[in-house]
Amino acid sequence: MSPIARVLKKRRFFYPLFLLPIAYLAVPILTSDTELLADPAKYLLEYLGLASTLLFVVTLCITPLRKLFPKSSLIKSLAFHRRALGLSVFAYALLHIVVYYFYTGTWAEFVKDWSKLFILSGILAFVFMLALAITSNNRSVRALGGRNWKRLHRLAYAIMFLLIYHQATQEKTGYRETAQYFAPLIVLQTCRIAIALRDRNRKRTPAP
Amino acid sequence: MRIIKRDPWHLPDSAATSESDYLNRRRFLKAAGLGAGALLGQSVANAATAGFPSMLNSKYKLEELEATPYDLIKGYNNFYEFSYDKGDVQKLANQGWKTEPWTIEIKGHVDNPMKIDVNDLIKKVGGIEQRVYRFRCVEAWSMVIPWDGFQLSKLIDLVQPNSKAKYLKFSTFYDPDSAPGQRGGSIDWPYVEGLTIEEARNPLSLLATGIYGKPIPNQNGAPIRLVVPWKYGFKGIKSIVKIEFISKRPLNTWQALQPREYGFYANVNPEVDHPRWSQASERIIGSGFFSSRKDTLMFNGYEEQVAHLYDGLDLRKNY
Repeated sequence: MSPIARVLKKRRFFYPLFLLPIAYLAVPILTSDTELLADPAKYLLEYLGLASTLLFVVTLCITPLRKLFPKSSLIKSLAFHRRALGLSVFAYALLHIVVYYFYTGTWAEFVKDWSKLFILSGILAFVFMLALAITSNNRSVRALGGRNWKRLHRLAYAIMFLLIYHQATQEKTGYRETAQYFAPLIVLQTCRIAIALRDRNRKRTPAP
Repeated sequence: MRIIKRDPWHLPDSAATSESDYLNRRRFLKAAGLGAGALLGQSVANAATAGFPSMLNSKYKLEELEATPYDLIKGYNNFYEFSYDKGDVQKLANQGWKTEPWTIEIKGHVDNPMKIDVNDLIKKVGGIEQRVYRFRCVEAWSMVIPWDGFQLSKLIDLVQPNSKAKYLKFSTFYDPDSAPGQRGGSIDWPYVEGLTIEEARNPLSLLATGIYGKPIPNQNGAPIRLVVPWKYGFKGIKSIVKIEFISKRPLNTWQALQPREYGFYANVNPEVDHPRWSQASERIIGSGFFSSRKDTLMFNGYEEQVAHLYDGLDLRKNY
């Protein structure tokens, strides 16, 4: 195991990394970023949404990376923290929704736009994340049974499509940003599917 | 209780250039190896509005509303020619993009077409005035802006359109060397906007050349831009180089991009939602994190002045 991988595996080194997005907010605050001053709620809304999205991409990249590089100790260390990473996605999504409440101002305004697909996709993704967050502990794995737990947690892929939609519809021209954020995930998942198909074909073809 | 009654043209402290901006500019000039006096002096002398003191038009003073701080007006800009990021436009629009001298061409179905320097145009229409207008962006935020400029109808009187002129088509500059946003992306540059001739003749329609009594900053559309306060902000095309009087309705840039979301009229209307968000209310720029929204007014509060332009028109379809 490489030294970096060993450090990365330690909770006390890895967990503080989840606070990086919050710490990075010091930059716009210290530089009095006009976008932050002009409409702080909107700024935080977009910022937290993006933090959640990027953490989500990292989380979902881990499994395909393991398939591609089964021997990498670095990726093994990452995989060790996969559930914690998933929870950080949920935590930032929760903050995103709390800020959305303040952005809209009142409860009536908050719920008004839920019928719009743009908002609905975000709400649905959050509800799914909530289900995954609640069942992320070991007790839930035991209670549900490994197979059912795994099935339930495939909701992550539904969340992926919802987030892609949510991100893409808020872009005003083209889908450049969405493509940038999700490209690694799409590439890796495609590789993973390709590997799975190859393995299946190998199994089917009898040895000569 | 003592009530301080300010004159409507009173500038808040925030209108002044902040110390840090001032210092940064000096540093920049120093770094560029230029005499600060020479450069600034020339710039002030030539910019449209400079040398044309504006008087507040008391018909448009909006005393009940507080003007948005100057720093936010010039720091929070949608100007895709430079960047998709509202916070980056100020910097990018001031890196060598020349907005003076500036010639504007007016042609089409008019008896008196012209190609004219902006400063000469201001002289011809008899100078400028100040008007405080509400500004409502289609993204559901709003400002209050003290513009300097002249009524668009004065320009129309100058060029004398004939009966074939039904619409005005405005075009902005095209200069990808100076405007990084024009080097690519999904927008068909240059930016185009349009008005019906009746809308253009409405006394509210303004060609702005200044803000807060100073020449309009590059990022706000120097040296001359359209201001139609009852419409969403994107109708207010910036840095105009051409105005054509035509007989067919022009296809404005945002309608070409997303016809389901943005139409030709783009009148502020709290009852017609954007597909992604409600237009019933708006966030006031600069009012902080916990400020709740304020209700959006029909035609942005200018119903009395403009509603008659749309008699018999289904505003739900003609958004």
